[in-house]
Amino acid sequence: MEAFEALLAGFASALTPTTLMWGFIGCFVGTMVGVLPGLGPALTIALLLPLTYHVPATSMFVMFAGIYYGAAYGGSTTSILLNTPGETSSVVTALEGNKMARSGRAGQALATAAIGSFVAGTIAILALTFIAPWVVEVALAFGPAEYFSLMVLSLVAVSSVLGNSLLRGLVSLGLGLLIGMVGIDLQTGQMRFTFGQPQLLDGIEITVAAVGLFAVGEALYLAWQGRSSQPGSLTKLSGSLWMSTQDWARSWKAWIRGALFGFPIGAMPAGGAEVPTLLSYYTEKKLSKHPEEFGHGAIEGVAGPEAANNASAAGVLMPLLTLGIPTSATAAVMLSAFESYGIQTGPQLFSTNSGLVWTLIASLYIGNFILLVLNLPLVGLWVKLLRIPPPWLYAGIIVVSIIGVYGAGQSLFNVGLLFVFGLAGYIMRRFDFPAAPVLVGLILSPLAEQSMRQALTISQGQWSTFITRPISATLLAIAVMLLLAQPLYQRWKNRQAPIGPEDGSPTA
Amino acid sequence: MTPIRVSLLLGLVCLVAGWQVIQIPESAIEMAVGPALMPALIVGGLSLVSLLYGIGAYRGLQADDAADPEQAALSGSTTRFLFLLGAGAIFIGLVGLVGFVPSATLCGVCIARAFDAPINLKSFLICGAIVIFFWFLFSKILGIGLGPALTLI
Repeated sequence: MEAFEALLAGFASALTPTTLMWGFIGCFVGTMVGVLPGLGPALTIALLLPLTYHVPATSMFVMFAGIYYGAAYGGSTTSILLNTPGETSSVVTALEGNKMARSGRAGQALATAAIGSFVAGTIAILALTFIAPWVVEVALAFGPAEYFSLMVLSLVAVSSVLGNSLLRGLVSLGLGLLIGMVGIDLQTGQMRFTFGQPQLLDGIEITVAAVGLFAVGEALYLAWQGRSSQPGSLTKLSGSLWMSTQDWARSWKAWIRGALFGFPIGAMPAGGAEVPTLLSYYTEKKLSKHPEEFGHGAIEGVAGPEAANNASAAGVLMPLLTLGIPTSATAAVMLSAFESYGIQTGPQLFSTNSGLVWTLIASLYIGNFILLVLNLPLVGLWVKLLRIPPPWLYAGIIVVSIIGVYGAGQSLFNVGLLFVFGLAGYIMRRFDFPAAPVLVGLILSPLAEQSMRQALTISQGQWSTFITRPISATLLAIAVMLLLAQPLYQRWKNRQAPIGPEDGSPTA
Repeated sequence: MTPIRVSLLLGLVCLVAGWQVIQIPESAIEMAVGPALMPALIVGGLSLVSLLYGIGAYRGLQADDAADPEQAALSGSTTRFLFLLGAGAIFIGLVGLVGFVPSATLCGVCIARAFDAPINLKSFLICGAIVIFFWFLFSKILGIGLGPALTLI
């Protein structure tokens, strides 16, 4: 009941014209970045971080939430019409959505994606509204040891789940943790990894790292490849945007199942949107009365994954708002925005900045509605965006990236660093290292160090404090299990594989 | 670049980081954990996973898009790559001398060239329009300091 009253107060604040305007801008920009290849919510929010000096916190976070949500919506348009997912979480949508578009049902595919996103988004925000205060109560019992272990779990989960290889994920994580250590140690005032450069005393800004890795890195990779110089073939927008009775009947259960996959998995450390969208797709394929249509344009194959995608976006906000733990690159950048405003994240956020949190949650409901209204009528505009020739698109993206970095303090050192991170991003993209663990490591390593120091100070230097406290020990045990699970499973799979008859190599 | 060279690069990063850890002075404040412990743990962990990556690379087990026919670069990759990196260098070198708009426009032209657009008047006009639009939006409307649009030498 308390949560409901706080939510009503949040609505009162979110429905003021100024906040509503920022929400609308966020949804519009978010859908745009979701549609355009090479851009994503993490990069966009990072680029807008310099605005934190000019715009009040509530308006800014309402806009960021709109961008995050809008990007989840927008990714479906490119998947369906271009067969090129704007976001990795929209990959599954492309499987059936583009087939529907090719058979003249693009309108229905876009409609089930948009309405499904709205339905699942609403279910997930309801869950966030009523579960978050309960998580906060549990988290208030956490001490520094539990926080340190939770961060270790989060870091391990991000590295092991994202990407194709645990080892490469851990290399990315190690690099991120190392970068997070650059600058002055706040407790002792000692310089670390600064090479005597005064520009590095304050550490490396997350904007520089995020924009370098994602925008410049992606552009360098695509320029190296030379395959993206022409726009992809765009499937004509065909078919009515109105869904038939049969389409509704086949979609609504998929939307709800998608939401039930998306929210809890999104709320887990490194749950992300990829796993629930895949789970939703295979569940719909298994439960469908028309399994033969899968692979040829089954509407359930668009409805379920798109719903899961949007529900997971709300799920990711749960650990960020309740524990102050980012579980994705976007959440890491948003945490950095909280720091820019000097707002202490974690369970105390609900008591110290209750107005901000509940306005943010209320704005998600409103944003969800704005996106439904915005997405379908403006689909023609989104299609036009897809026709921008890549040379001008990437010129625009990199110029905006430079503005985002240069505008924060007119530092040419940071612009140089942007391109160094771009080179790193190119290498990571080409050699299949996931980039998200770098950002999550960068933002969490100083926080983890602080918690570790506090825990050891309280325990008078006893390292056993991390394993003698039950919650901390459980969290560490889960982290170890996550670390061991993938290699053990791989070994087991290799043993199960029959030996090839001639060369002795496994056949599977 | 090959996975083996990437592992050598990682090894170099670990060496430099290890040297930097040794350079961190001990704190005069009495505390359970000093300023060098966490960096040392991180460098140790990174060295271990980098070594494992290097072993995998030596055995040919690590991924490289250049080895995938569907992902490998088309001809002219070095030129395109250098144009994009050069774009950054041009901006850094010129922004203090000529102001934001001309340096960012030249930078944009080089980026467009990296995506196979010819360097001609059309390219200058389009990139100029993009830069002026964003300079106006960020500098004039949103109040982000980008310096003068044009500096007359």
